[in-house]
Amino acid sequence: MVQLAPHLFNGLTLGLLFALIALGFTLIVGVMEVLNLAHGSLFALGAYIALTMIDPGWAQNTALGSFWLGLPIAARYAVALAFAPLLVALAGMLLERCLRPTYDKAPLYGLLLTFGAALVIEELIRLGWGTGERHLPVPGAINGAFFFGGLIFSKYKIFAALFSLAAIGAVWFFLERTPYGAIIKAGAHDSEMVRALGYDLARLRMFVFGFGAALAGLAGIVMVPIWGLRPHVGIDVVIPAFLIIVLGGVGSFWGAVVASILVGLAVGVTGAYAPAWSLMSMYLLLIAVVCYRSRGLFGRKSALER
Amino acid sequence: MPTLSDISPRSAAWVTPPMLVLGFVMLSAPLWLGAVGLYQYLGIEIAIWMIYALGFNLLFGYTGLHSFGHGAYLGVGGYAFGLFQHHVGSSLWGGLAAAILAAGLAGVLVGAAVSHRRGIYFALLTIAFGQVFWFSSIKLHWLTGGEDGLLNIPRPPLDLVFLEVPLGDNLSLYYFVVAVLALAILALWRMVNSPFGRILQAIRQNEMRAAFVGYEVWRFKLMAFVLSAMFAGLAGGLFAMAQESAYPDVMSLHQSGLIVMMVLVGGGLVSFWGPVLGVVLYFVARDVLGALTETWLLWYGLMFMAMVMFRPEGLAGVLHRLRRRPEPGATPRPAASEGA
Repeated sequence: MVQLAPHLFNGLTLGLLFALIALGFTLIVGVMEVLNLAHGSLFALGAYIALTMIDPGWAQNTALGSFWLGLPIAARYAVALAFAPLLVALAGMLLERCLRPTYDKAPLYGLLLTFGAALVIEELIRLGWGTGERHLPVPGAINGAFFFGGLIFSKYKIFAALFSLAAIGAVWFFLERTPYGAIIKAGAHDSEMVRALGYDLARLRMFVFGFGAALAGLAGIVMVPIWGLRPHVGIDVVIPAFLIIVLGGVGSFWGAVVASILVGLAVGVTGAYAPAWSLMSMYLLLIAVVCYRSRGLFGRKSALER
Repeated sequence: MPTLSDISPRSAAWVTPPMLVLGFVMLSAPLWLGAVGLYQYLGIEIAIWMIYALGFNLLFGYTGLHSFGHGAYLGVGGYAFGLFQHHVGSSLWGGLAAAILAAGLAGVLVGAAVSHRRGIYFALLTIAFGQVFWFSSIKLHWLTGGEDGLLNIPRPPLDLVFLEVPLGDNLSLYYFVVAVLALAILALWRMVNSPFGRILQAIRQNEMRAAFVGYEVWRFKLMAFVLSAMFAGLAGGLFAMAQESAYPDVMSLHQSGLIVMMVLVGGGLVSFWGPVLGVVLYFVARDVLGALTETWLLWYGLMFMAMVMFRPEGLAGVLHRLRRRPEPGATPRPAASEGA
């Protein structure tokens, strides 16, 4: 009998990390009914931008660059964590601008356009940062491992899980407890009425897409020290995000969170018994659920079914 | 935007002008491929991918079911062909039959689960199943050779009872693949212009109405799925033969997305011939742009994005529009409501 507790714990942290990845994705699906296949590429873009911010090798000869590199890594990491997602948000807004012609067409076109965008962003990353595996430095305080109850834990994983917990809470607060969140949700529910009330729908959509992209970038910065940073990391990421959204029900916030944790637990527990097949379990989980509940766990009817 | 159901001139004919043009181009290709800086093997690849794309469009364009995991059946076909050669016996017909049957069987299994779904849920489930096949092909090392692939697949000779043609060199294999392509095109052309093909198109245009007319919609969706999987399996078998090996790579989401891109760029949503144009464009872009720049996928991706934004009807749609000059005073007829 394999000892299950550490695997459950592993699965839970993994689930929280999946939730962080899925947050931006579910926001864009829920509000704009666009399945953003470029989500994973924006995730990678965020991590690469953070990499350049933390360690701008080319700038070390300039005065500003040497001052910047003189700062402790924790400060540089914090700055990157705050500002790299904003740059990703700009990229997301640009992508939203490209998506506009597809709004009055079948959902397929939005899917296809973002698939093309994913290819383009991945190639741009290859151009800008090379094709090799890169390493995102993290502050020493959250690096390394510690012992607890005779088991070894990675500090960074704990940090990442707590961070995603905080991010889930912040996004929930923003959507449910602020007037902006109310407008966004109203836009998802009845866009015509929101427009009739005098809100600029085009700007709202651009903002939501930018916000979703920023969350993708944020997830990228937090995740890549665990998963590694390669140009094609995007495709490894977008698929779990995708599965989680469908499993949880398209457009459902808590559905996505619950599904993430389920997927994390499934992967973690399968990892205990058949490590080679652990990633397979999420596909099987999805197929099992969706064959019985076509709209996922918490899904409602949406325009994407047309 | 015109639809597939609008453009079918002389649909009752067995042979149409585009077929003759394609036949002429494909048959004469070995004479000029080298002269324009390309090579014979590329011709084989293009012809195989044409079979794959045309079969895929039966599902994607005609039935309006957007599968994003179709590479799985290409892969299954390839492995079935290779395993047949390794474990049963060296036979061309046996291998191809195994490829078609195995892909068809996989299609039945997946199709039974997805044929009640529509829209984005259909696409998502096909992605999930595609990933399962891809993942299995990597992990089932004893069967598929894992990431190294299934190697040393022979090219068995073409056995026509009274004569045997070796297919070892690329030229003879090319002509064999073109012959298979011709048969596949004839079969698909008859299929889409048969009552069966009409029902598939009716399902695309309005699934509910098709059901109300009395068709059991999911059965037809399943049939379209299985048929298109079988064409993919055939292409996979031929591809394994051409490569003399089979790899999991063709089953990845990336590759399954590329076939969707090819079909859409070519105009598979508006014309039977769209997939053919798309495949040619993709492979020529890969080789010509790829020779000029390492980042050819960037340019191909940008072109694809522009196409989706401004010309979603694809190459075939643009050609159609150019050929049919607007008649003076003609009012455009209201677009048919597409449930796609």
